[in-house]
Amino acid sequence: MSALPEPLVDLMAALGRLPGIGPRTAERLALHIVQADPAEVDRLATALTTARLRVKACERCGALTEAQPCALCTDDRRDASLLCVVERPVDVLLLDKTGVFRGRFHVLGGKLSPINGVEPEDLRIRELELRLTAEPIREVVLALPTDVEGDATSSYLARRLAPRGVRVTRLAHGLPAGTGLEFADELTLSRALEGRRPLD
Amino acid sequence: MHLAHLRLRDFRNYARLDAEFSPGFHLLLGDNAQGKTNILEAIYLLATLRSFRGVGGAQMVRHDHKGYFVGARVVGQGTRQIRMYWSATERQLSLDGQPVRRLSDYLGVLRAVVFCTEDLQLVKGPAARRRRFLDLLLSQTHPTYLPLLQRYTAALRSRNALLKQSLVDAMAFDSFTQELVSVGNQIIALRRELVPRLSPLARLAYRRIANDAEELKLAYQPSVKTDFAIELAASRARERSYRMTLVGPHRDDLALMLNDQPAAQFASEGQKRTLAIALKMAQAEYVTGLHGTPPVLLIDDVMGELDVRRRSGLLPLLERSHQASGQVFMTCTEENWPRELGRRLQRWIVSAGSLRAVDSAPTP
Ligand SMILES: Nc1ncnc2c1ncn2[C@@H]1O[C@H](COP(=O)(O)OP(=O)(O)O)[C@@H](O)[C@H]1O
Ligand SMILES: [Mg+2]
Ligand SMILES: [Zn+2]
Repeated sequence: MSALPEPLVDLMAALGRLPGIGPRTAERLALHIVQADPAEVDRLATALTTARLRVKACERCGALTEAQPCALCTDDRRDASLLCVVERPVDVLLLDKTGVFRGRFHVLGGKLSPINGVEPEDLRIRELELRLTAEPIREVVLALPTDVEGDATSSYLARRLAPRGVRVTRLAHGLPAGTGLEFADELTLSRALEGRRPLD
Repeated sequence: MHLAHLRLRDFRNYARLDAEFSPGFHLLLGDNAQGKTNILEAIYLLATLRSFRGVGGAQMVRHDHKGYFVGARVVGQGTRQIRMYWSATERQLSLDGQPVRRLSDYLGVLRAVVFCTEDLQLVKGPAARRRRFLDLLLSQTHPTYLPLLQRYTAALRSRNALLKQSLVDAMAFDSFTQELVSVGNQIIALRRELVPRLSPLARLAYRRIANDAEELKLAYQPSVKTDFAIELAASRARERSYRMTLVGPHRDDLALMLNDQPAAQFASEGQKRTLAIALKMAQAEYVTGLHGTPPVLLIDDVMGELDVRRRSGLLPLLERSHQASGQVFMTCTEENWPRELGRRLQRWIVSAGSLRAVDSAPTP
């Protein structure tokens, strides 16, 4: 039987479910929290619930935002003819930071994964096609991970979008193979963006 | 290259071990179940991050302990420090104090070739054994091979998962097929290039060990005859009924021919043993030729199985390969160690998880 108070055990369990937090870290954080200044813990609790309530996926592009649609989608200075397709919301931030890409974004929300049962219908591809009809998009830049599933998703999109006559390019392979965007530094990312090429 | 220092903590039956090894020939002597093979297993683990016994990490942790530590100092071009820790919840691998981020940065720091009784399965066993042999050799010599193989395996698993669905999205299927073909073709090309280079090395080793005129030949037998994409498309009907990918490098084989006859069917037991050793010798020679330094040879219980004639053929090969500052570790029981090797070796007594140098023998 555990000698620890039940609420503390619950807190450790909750923290331990967060990504990247193992049992030891969860324990350390929980012990810190139950011994910290109550006001500070209050601020943390409020920050958690507020952030969760106010941050949503942009209905148009899928990036994280408070306003609907998001600032990236409404910014007139961005090139509306260029659309960059990424896997996850965080990839939007990574690419936007390079400052090289001045178009708009579209988050797929995953990649094709037969092993995990992720099929085309599970991704925001319908939404992408609707945007191609509604917006003056002339080029779609695929910035998906370079592992097998990412590459297969890229060629899937190239096949599926082909009848629409839109130009489909992908990031040049300056990216470390088999990884997501987060492993690339900004310089590599912006070079990859400049060297993008059509899919064969 | 040689292993200069080995440190074990809670690895198999070793609670603690710290041993210094010079280049040259090391004989690990001891009764059964004392921990001779465990030492070779640890060295091989350092080289390949796998056990040659084909087991996972849990089995290598000393009974009733949390995790094992295996550390080494390897002297090659420079001196490298390896530290490895494994437990059910934690894995660490560092090189010169830095965590290893990519396997390809690590493999090659220590190269090893193991000879063990299981090698007989290279001759007698299914094609998967021989593919693994080729894969291991290519991973040791080609920095891009392992990621390529992992990619192929991922594409194959995805494609097979699609084949198991009742309603296959044709476009998604084509996309994964395209991945499979482009990666598969690179694997085929590397295997096709390797086998003709390996074949003469194996033939020579076989001749020397067997000391007779039988001709050993290795031939690559690819599943894909000319065009992967076309043959894959042609197999669609069969794929549909088997619900898996039936053509591709995952179906390759390496043919072993003795006097133009398949060895698995026609060779004698002794010939098969010799052939298995010859394959491993060829592996060692190939790695040496490519990198300029011989890999560390790990020889487990092989001597006891060879007749006098074959032993006297093999020993000079081993002696030769530990020249140029190479290293050989060989396990034997007190009865069957090859005394003909003479004085140019370091003897160690292995008993109940400890290692003791026998100082009467001068180090080479
Ligand atoms: N995980 C483990 N923990 C403790 N002892 C182990 C472990 N695995 C194997 N052993 C012990 O190691 C010994 C076998 O070692 P091994 O190197 O195979 O012997 P040999 O000297 O015959 O080559 C046996 O005594 C076995 O009980
Ligand atoms: Mg043994
Ligand atoms: Zn948006």
